[in-house]
Amino acid sequence: MNRFILSTITAIGLVLCLTCSPLAAQEIIDILLKNAHVIDPHNERNGRFDIAIIGNKIHKVGKNLPASHAKRVIDLSEFYVTPGLIDLHAHFDAYGADLNLQPDHHSLTNGVTTAVDAGSSGHKGFEKFKAETIDKSKTRLLALLNIVGAGMYGPEVEDDPKQMDVDAAVRMVKKYPDTIVGIKTAHYEPANWTAVDNAREAAEKSNTVLMVDFRPKEGRGYRELLLEHMRPGDMHTHVYSRRFDWLDENNKVKSYMWEARKKGVLFDVGHGNGSFYYRKAVPALKEGFLPDTISTDIHKRSIMLPRANMATTMSKFLNLGLTMEQIIERTTVAPAKAIRRTELGTLSEGADADIAVFRLSEGKFGFLDSGRAKMIGDKKLFCVLTVRNGAIVWDTEGLAATEFTNAGPYTNFR
Amino acid sequence: MMARVLLILMVGLASRLTAPAQTYDLLLKNGHVIDPANEIDGLMDVAINGNTISRVAESIDSSSAGKTIDASGLYVTPGLVDLHAHPYLCNSGPLFPDDVWLTTGTTTLVACGDAGWRNFDDFKAKIIDKAQARVLAFINIVGKGIAGGPAEHDLSDMDPEKTAAKILEYPDLIVGIKTAHYNNPDWIAIDRSIEAGHLTDRPIIVDSGILSNTGRTTREKLLDKFRPGDMHTHFYNDRQVEVVSRFGGKVQPYMWEARRRGVLFDMGHGAGSFLWPVASKAMKGGFQPDTISTDLHQKSIRAGAPDMPNCISKMMLLGMPFGEAIRRSTVTPAESIQKFPELGTLGKGQVADVAVLKIERGTFAFKDAWGNKKMGSRRVRAVMTVRNGEIVFDEDGLGFPLWAEAGEYDQIP
Repeated sequence: MNRFILSTITAIGLVLCLTCSPLAAQEIIDILLKNAHVIDPHNERNGRFDIAIIGNKIHKVGKNLPASHAKRVIDLSEFYVTPGLIDLHAHFDAYGADLNLQPDHHSLTNGVTTAVDAGSSGHKGFEKFKAETIDKSKTRLLALLNIVGAGMYGPEVEDDPKQMDVDAAVRMVKKYPDTIVGIKTAHYEPANWTAVDNAREAAEKSNTVLMVDFRPKEGRGYRELLLEHMRPGDMHTHVYSRRFDWLDENNKVKSYMWEARKKGVLFDVGHGNGSFYYRKAVPALKEGFLPDTISTDIHKRSIMLPRANMATTMSKFLNLGLTMEQIIERTTVAPAKAIRRTELGTLSEGADADIAVFRLSEGKFGFLDSGRAKMIGDKKLFCVLTVRNGAIVWDTEGLAATEFTNAGPYTNFR
Repeated sequence: MMARVLLILMVGLASRLTAPAQTYDLLLKNGHVIDPANEIDGLMDVAINGNTISRVAESIDSSSAGKTIDASGLYVTPGLVDLHAHPYLCNSGPLFPDDVWLTTGTTTLVACGDAGWRNFDDFKAKIIDKAQARVLAFINIVGKGIAGGPAEHDLSDMDPEKTAAKILEYPDLIVGIKTAHYNNPDWIAIDRSIEAGHLTDRPIIVDSGILSNTGRTTREKLLDKFRPGDMHTHFYNDRQVEVVSRFGGKVQPYMWEARRRGVLFDMGHGAGSFLWPVASKAMKGGFQPDTISTDLHQKSIRAGAPDMPNCISKMMLLGMPFGEAIRRSTVTPAESIQKFPELGTLGKGQVADVAVLKIERGTFAFKDAWGNKKMGSRRVRAVMTVRNGEIVFDEDGLGFPLWAEAGEYDQIP
């Protein structure tokens, strides 16, 4: 009798399981982004797709995903959807050195879900930066640790070799391997290689990458930096600044730039307040010397007149002739690879749900470079919606918002 | 002798006539000027010399200007004045002044109680003195400022005399006293703020966070406690449904009575204090904010995104004419903090703080503090900001040359 009941229950259970399994495949979708023009270079997608998000992960990317199983459906047929962008060069140590900005209202509003702070702090200030800003931000903040222990606190410390304690820097990188992705050197004036070589040594010893901001001097040339002092995978930022002699008298890119690229040195934009000039970028792009990564060097000054935020910086390159796909590649998969965090910058199923949505507006727009000279363009990108870790953190066109008359009773005692 | 004098005079005259007479440093041409303080609303040019407004008139000759900007199709207004800002301390996280306010046409922001007498000097050194924007302050009656719940209920740290002393130490910077986030069932925080106000001849600004279970009412606050000129901020929220009655949606009679007494009502949008149902019913009943302000902080800036142009757009959506919204974002706030006529005006000789705004037409969503939207067809956006005579923000580069024509530039002034 008991056996009969047991086997009956087992049989019913089996039948239930069998009928359940097709249902299980139809899980409840938290957010379904419909009909977007998806550009996801990592997965070689450039076309109309739907994106399903469950919890904080990308669940599925495909055509015609059913809306009936989604709690929230957002129609994005007017927009481009990309992986959450990675800004490889930002300054977000908000309560550290003076020029830094607070991250979230500059990054998330520009589709940037991961920002790499480029050396605002060194090993002495990093933990303060982490406690005050990194741990409190919605943006995923990573860091390149300044080889200068004190960080970007002016020439007194930044030009001082005694500040460059390689072992202390390496210890800090190893203590926070999830957050510190490499070493930065910047602003070093004395005409020797101490800063670059110390920074490279710290990168070698911590098995991370190096980013260099460089000031050529008599006896300390740019060519030499690229070909003799940088390793494959190391990054030179501010490539379109006025400091470098890589254009010849006929505005042709000199051969050592191609040689460095072949060797594997990466060239980053790092727009900033002094490092993006049309008269450098235009001839370079004309010859096909594109940046490997597009980044902002956003800080208190560069955000004002040059508007070095991500959407505007990308818009400048769009008007200079790069395609959307080229631009998204250089703001997602390329920077992810450069910092060896290839799980980022992708809309792969199972990846963290970090997503950016852009409107591509047509009209007449002016764009200033770091020297405050203007280019007139006819296209401009505006970030309209951002998803970070599965949550909508920016929605300036109210695409996911309810009309207030349908929002139910308003009361403070919700 | 006489001939020599004549000759000198003549040479002098001639050189004045032939010298390149650059009378103005900056000329904003062909814009629609709205300057409520001077009752200007029409096509005008605005000339700036050094850091002051030189002249506002029709057809000022551009050959007399160092830099001329074509503002056709745009509105030129005094730099906006935001009465409710959080650039130093705020429970939802403060924002820095320049990257947030100057890029939205706002040249003056008033910290709304961020610091008290204990930390005002730190606020001044870290934020006020380093900002390009003009940062003024309501000082918190709490010595530590907005330092979180328990600290903001510490009666021993609410000292009217020390607060007054700090105000008198910085009379140009500290324009009034703020009290907020106080939920005890008594009037101590407000009474002490008013005392500091009496000692310094300054207004107080008070939030609306009085819960009914404290035994205090908004009516009592507005009619019995407030003096004329005192300000009630965040009034379009729903706590106790203060503005409009819960039943029938009419504006409460005591609101009108308070307004007649000279109590001022400040918008203070923020992340909890501008709700479409409340604001639309109040505006339907004709109850407008005296001053339009943002309560921008790290939370509100990504939620309702209530920067000054956004708040102005929202009031226009509720029927307020653009010129009226500009008045309540310039001259009215300046007057309310006793800073008129040096602020909120394009008057000759005043500091050249100017906003250039654009009214975009299309379909736009405007989200209230709780994230619910109302659709509108006009959106105000800042395209340029002049602070102290200098272009500090210029989204489309209207004030700068084309790169191909600029030669070997480093940084074009």
